Amino acid sequence: MKKWTSVLLILALVAAMFSGCASNGTAETPAAGTDEPAAAEPVTIRYMTFSAAPDHLADLEAMIAAFEKENPDIKVEYEAVGWDDYFTKLQTQVANKTEADTFELNYENFVTYASKNALYDMESLMNNDADFDPSVFNETALNAFRLNGKQYGLVESFSNVVMFYNKDLFDAAGVDYPDPSWTWEDELVAAQKLTNKDAGVWGTYSPIQFWEFYKTIEQNGGTIFNEDKTEVLIDSRENVETLTWMIDKIEKYNVTPSDAQMSGQSDGDLFKAGKIAMLRTGIWMFGAFADAPFDWDIALEPGNTQKAHHFFSNGVAISKNTKNAEAAWKWVKFFTSSQEAAEVRVASSWELPALTDETLLEGYLSQTPPASRNVVFEALDSLVVPPVIENWNELTDAVGQELEQAKLGQKTPQEALTDAKAVLEDLIQ
Amino acid sequence: MSNEKRNNAIKKGLMYAVLILGAIAMILPFVWMVSTSLKSSSVTFVMPPKWIPENPSLDSYKQVFETVPMGRFFLNSVFVSVVSTFFQVLVCAMAGYAFARIEFKGRNVLFMVYLATLMVPQQVTLTPLFVLMNLLGWANTYKALILPGIFSAFGTFLMRQFFLGIPKSIEEAAFLDGAGYVTIFFRIIVHLAKPVFATLFIFAFMASWNNFLWPLIIIGDVDHMTLPLGLSMLKGRWTTDWNVLMAGTLVSILPMLFVYIFTQKYIIKGMTHTGLK
Amino acid sequence: MVGFKKWDKAKTLAVFLLPSLIGMTVFVILPILASLGLSFTKWDLIGDIEWVGLSNYVKVLKDKNIHAALWHTLQFITGYLPTVMIISLGLAMLLNQKLRGVVFFRALYFIPVITSWVAVSMIWKWLLNPEFGIINYLLSLVGIQGPGWLFDADWAMIGIILTSVWKDIGFVTVIYLAGLQEIPDHLYEAAQIDGVNAWQKFRHITWPMLSSTTFFVVTISLINSFQVFDQVWVMTEGGPAGATSVMIEQVYRNAFGYYKMGYASAISWVLFICIFVFTFLQNRFQNKWGYSDE
Repeated sequence: MKKWTSVLLILALVAAMFSGCASNGTAETPAAGTDEPAAAEPVTIRYMTFSAAPDHLADLEAMIAAFEKENPDIKVEYEAVGWDDYFTKLQTQVANKTEADTFELNYENFVTYASKNALYDMESLMNNDADFDPSVFNETALNAFRLNGKQYGLVESFSNVVMFYNKDLFDAAGVDYPDPSWTWEDELVAAQKLTNKDAGVWGTYSPIQFWEFYKTIEQNGGTIFNEDKTEVLIDSRENVETLTWMIDKIEKYNVTPSDAQMSGQSDGDLFKAGKIAMLRTGIWMFGAFADAPFDWDIALEPGNTQKAHHFFSNGVAISKNTKNAEAAWKWVKFFTSSQEAAEVRVASSWELPALTDETLLEGYLSQTPPASRNVVFEALDSLVVPPVIENWNELTDAVGQELEQAKLGQKTPQEALTDAKAVLEDLIQ
Repeated sequence: MSNEKRNNAIKKGLMYAVLILGAIAMILPFVWMVSTSLKSSSVTFVMPPKWIPENPSLDSYKQVFETVPMGRFFLNSVFVSVVSTFFQVLVCAMAGYAFARIEFKGRNVLFMVYLATLMVPQQVTLTPLFVLMNLLGWANTYKALILPGIFSAFGTFLMRQFFLGIPKSIEEAAFLDGAGYVTIFFRIIVHLAKPVFATLFIFAFMASWNNFLWPLIIIGDVDHMTLPLGLSMLKGRWTTDWNVLMAGTLVSILPMLFVYIFTQKYIIKGMTHTGLK
Repeated sequence: MVGFKKWDKAKTLAVFLLPSLIGMTVFVILPILASLGLSFTKWDLIGDIEWVGLSNYVKVLKDKNIHAALWHTLQFITGYLPTVMIISLGLAMLLNQKLRGVVFFRALYFIPVITSWVAVSMIWKWLLNPEFGIINYLLSLVGIQGPGWLFDADWAMIGIILTSVWKDIGFVTVIYLAGLQEIPDHLYEAAQIDGVNAWQKFRHITWPMLSSTTFFVVTISLINSFQVFDQVWVMTEGGPAGATSVMIEQVYRNAFGYYKMGYASAISWVLFICIFVFTFLQNRFQNKWGYSDE
């Protein structure tokens, strides 16, 4: 009966595993903060992150090590989740009140979580902390994580989008490099000279999707909503102009490839392969482009009636349900604003700390390529924050779909934006 | 006679041609994955794709194991999948047999209920199941990964259909000899059902091995994570190192390939059931 | 059954059925009932659960996105189901022959099944590439200009169907193979002696003997294809411009994107009703609960 003995063996093994795991299971849950202050037991703070995976886990661990050295009574356990799945996981945990004590949120999702009351109000923690000086943070960035007058998160990093350009291609075509005085018109003229059908080179590229759209319309003086988001202005004359311009670059002037022409290749890859002369993309691509086989630099984006640049930001918040608010605060403060953490961050290009410390930034500014890193900070003068509302994801999906239909020629820009307006009006009710 | 031989040869030739063409079509992505995983630079998806990497290297494989604790994830996945699949085959076989051969009141209705559970998507049962697990105190445990995987209407359905297809004569003869259901099941049926056991084993193993959403939600620490979670950690927010991702994916596929080849033996007609009694 | 008491039968039933029944109830049926309950509520996962009665269902029936998603799902099923079944059955019969290297071929055909959707979608995105892909290249050789495939709102769904058929052939073939292996040799031998030709063998032996297997294949494939999601999500995310949006994609978006767990549950229960009705009809049509007589 060999079969039976093997079956029994497996069952025994499994039983052993289960009993072992029963104790494991309970030990895994975060240490309850019911320890008396004088206890020798260290408090454990959980931290969930998306930006650390996959390239910066070592950096995060270094920061945690430094923090734990300074705070021997606090242990930090981190959980890194890929960006695509981060919010699925976070929501389910929040639904069950088992989320981490501290977790990362990008600006857009921050607004959702804050307005749904999932975050800890930091006011009292800030006021009770004599060592805390809010001025170490960039004011705009820090204020982004306020809602209804309360501080719900500390800003961890920021990034933005600028215009990258391939100097070698410009030289070969005899075109002057982009400068701050450029407008859309200048860009078009340059793009037409740079586009080379035979060599498969395109003059310029920016995607037609929602995030690009809400920034580009500002370059023409348009917006999605009015100031206090009570009125929908997405179908204004300026915005229709802007959308038409974005589509014309592909269809009319042929200086930008269509999606079919790009055929699944990413804009970053095409730029790196020398097939796109001017590319609007994020400063997070510095690392990816570092070993490009040509000379490149960055410049401010040309506007039409004014300049406008993206502003993206990640912050860290404390869960409303945490049992260790004090310890959590110490970790969050250290992670976002301490000298040690910031230095690790800058050294490994893990996005930019939103701090005002000049010497820190010097380290960043002196790295090349690109040579004109000061552009990153100049772009902050004309920044555009995402027009986040509570039903943000529905908004981005709905407007995104309208833009796609316009892009595919299924609707005119006017029709697409009029339809978008109807959807948005429903959403802000 | 030579005409018939020629016809046979042509028929065989055609069959082979079809099989080979089909096989090429099936293998293409696998080849692409291997090729990508051997590329040293992360120059990603360039058109037209290069089938043969310029400087083939095993760097991406090294990176896979260094970036995230792949070894641990691998072991976790093996443990969870093997245990849950083994029990699933056992439990579903017994239940399938009951549905196929044991008459009882409400049998059809109960079976319909089983079938109906297949019609509700995982996406909406995840959250309630998650709440349940937390109530039981099983969050972040192996139990939570293994147990839900054992109970599958799919497996029960598959087994039932198979058992229905077995001629009753064999069991009737055994009954006449005085054997009970249990004896018949474990002595006779199990041998006859080797092909379908092997089949369910493969499918169940695959489902368990590739399961992503559930482990994502229920597992909190690195020690319990399974392979698909590990792979997702290789994807960055803005960029992906395709060569590393493909290397990781290949590593995760190998066990399934192994399981498949191993179970092939049982699917092939072995001891025949035609000549029984 | 000769000499079998009712008590013995009950005991046997308990042994055979109880493990499955208990497990199913706790881990499968309970969460399902919970999700049914959720469909009558409004819940953003972060705040409290709020009872809203039937209003989710009313919204679902009026929601244009859902209408479109259901329509696309039906398109998928119509293209996918017959194709994968016919090809797989043919393939299974081929692989059931005494050809050399059959085991080798079987392994090869199964490789797509175990290959991840990430890899599958990347390679098919290339194969279907309008500019550089092999498919359009082959079409051009016979003078046809290939369409924009995944970039073309009219062709994207066809591209997804092709990919799905390709990936699942191995799966369905394996099931058919197991079913074919069940058919006793002596039936074919007897037919051979009677001088029956290949088509008649298929029609009178193979096809009827495969009826429980076919029932299984059709039912499972129907249930699964109503819930198609993974490949759509990875290949097009429902685009371009929503042309390949399907029901589960809507469920996923609402549950995890829009924080509308209650609404998402309602959508999936509407889908459930569709699947149930179709399965019921299909079962009636086949008129078989799998009781095969020889």
